[in-house]
Amino acid sequence: MSTSAETLARAPRRLPGDLAMWFFILAELTVFAILILAFAVTQMFNPQLFDQSRAALDSSTGLALTLGLLTSGLFAALSVEQVRQARQGRAALLLLAALASSCVYVALKLDEYRHLAGLGLGMEHNTFFTLYWILTGFHFLHVLLGMLILAWLAERCRRGAYRPDDHGGLESGVLYWHMVDLVWVLLFPLVYVLR
Amino acid sequence: MSASKVLVACWLGLVALSVCTVLLGNAGATQALATGVLLAAFGKAWLITDGFMELRHAPRAWRLLLLGWPLVMAIGMLLTLL
Repeated sequence: MSTSAETLARAPRRLPGDLAMWFFILAELTVFAILILAFAVTQMFNPQLFDQSRAALDSSTGLALTLGLLTSGLFAALSVEQVRQARQGRAALLLLAALASSCVYVALKLDEYRHLAGLGLGMEHNTFFTLYWILTGFHFLHVLLGMLILAWLAERCRRGAYRPDDHGGLESGVLYWHMVDLVWVLLFPLVYVLR
Repeated sequence: MSASKVLVACWLGLVALSVCTVLLGNAGATQALATGVLLAAFGKAWLITDGFMELRHAPRAWRLLLLGWPLVMAIGMLLTLL
């Protein structure tokens, strides 16, 4: 008789979602890697300028932004589990909760952008803010696209479009959202915290 | 542990590491603190890829590829701070 450990060891390894989505994620991560490393290397040559400029950012806001995105990621991941248990209605509600949590991120980020612009710390102010606006702005656009995808997935769940044995589209959409989270957890310390 | 409980446990870990990141950042600007911040960032990336993205059940090459990205980013950032 086989043990549960042996059963687990024999279980075939499975890549969730569509393979094309994983290649898309790799391409996105490559672009973000270039931007993140460009920020880090430029900081190496201008440490004082970056420290002084970073003082205009509030790390508490950065933490709140992080928690908004991570909570949204949790709701999105839980929605996939609900579809696997044939609970599409609950999955739709969880995706709406993910969308609401991401709205916290958007509201806080827009407030931060408005605050910085009001202080005259726009893209042309100095090298730090040029890179800050490009890096966080590019990520912000990905958040907005991810929110559109979450809304679409919620509507598809509400219509009962996914089944426990056929929900690859849902997995792929949710994977994109986790990629947005993954980028942010590296971007957050670089822009807001590290000195 | 059910899959949903694993996801909630991952989220709790992510929240704890995020708070640690800010506390370490506010504590000063030493090399050790920066290393701690980047270790926390890598830990968070691991929780997202293995937990939320379910790569712990995926073919090893994909798992290593996705874990390699935050590792390279963290090492790259650390090198620029030396």
